Amino acid sequence: MMPPRSVLLFESVSAALQAEKILKAVDIAHKIIPVPKHISSDCGVCIRVDEENLDRALQALQGRVVLQDTRQLP
Amino acid sequence: MSHTVDARGLACPQPVILAKKALERHEEVLVIVNDTAARENVKKLASSLGYAFTVEQQDEEARIAITKGETCALAEDIISTTGPVVVAVSSNTMGTGDDTLGGVLMKSFLHTLLDTTPRPDVMIFFNAGVKLTVEGSEVLDDLGALAEAGTKILVCGTCLNFFEIKDRLAAGSVSNMYDIARSMLTAGRLVRI
Repeated sequence: MMPPRSVLLFESVSAALQAEKILKAVDIAHKIIPVPKHISSDCGVCIRVDEENLDRALQALQGRVVLQDTRQLP
Repeated sequence: MSHTVDARGLACPQPVILAKKALERHEEVLVIVNDTAARENVKKLASSLGYAFTVEQQDEEARIAITKGETCALAEDIISTTGPVVVAVSSNTMGTGDDTLGGVLMKSFLHTLLDTTPRPDVMIFFNAGVKLTVEGSEVLDDLGALAEAGTKILVCGTCLNFFEIKDRLAAGSVSNMYDIARSMLTAGRLVRI
């Protein structure tokens, strides 16, 4: 069974890249994936994290990258 | 004569549902909405079904004329091939222009392959593309899933040797130019990235 996961959506590719850099630096497991078809976003890529890491990821990004939205994956 | 769906004043997702139902029974459907979100959603529906459409906007009101045509039959033709679908990956980035962007695009592309039809039968990694197949690569999970789903992954041995990363191979199997050339030449479709 796959663990529940969420995606972090951004307004731009550069914001997503900046977020990726931050998550890498603080060692939070994540993955850049294309924005799922059922979700619309201004930028084509998003960052997927396991639900258990979501709070830590949001904390790490707070004030450093503008997050457009967070969505739970089905 | 086209069938008309008057979806003015209806809340989402009602206009889309009505349009979809009408399209199941009619070749041409005219959908009238008076809401921007509804208009965009009906347009998205038509696009996702591969149908042509035109939009006429008058003040608040939008009239979306959708024609079914033969797009779907064509799409079926396009995805049928007689030989294996081969994806040749010659770099660890996708496209030229900016390597940071190229890296993101490549990750995105490889992740998408798993849900795409047709899924590649063979993937060949050569030159800097082999860097995607060794320890530390961020696409190992996608390559593993593709392999599990039946995609054969060939990795250029000469290239692993050149970059001195042969001992770190973590996806697919080491291959040689004979197999690589034969896979390319016998492909039903060859996609080079």
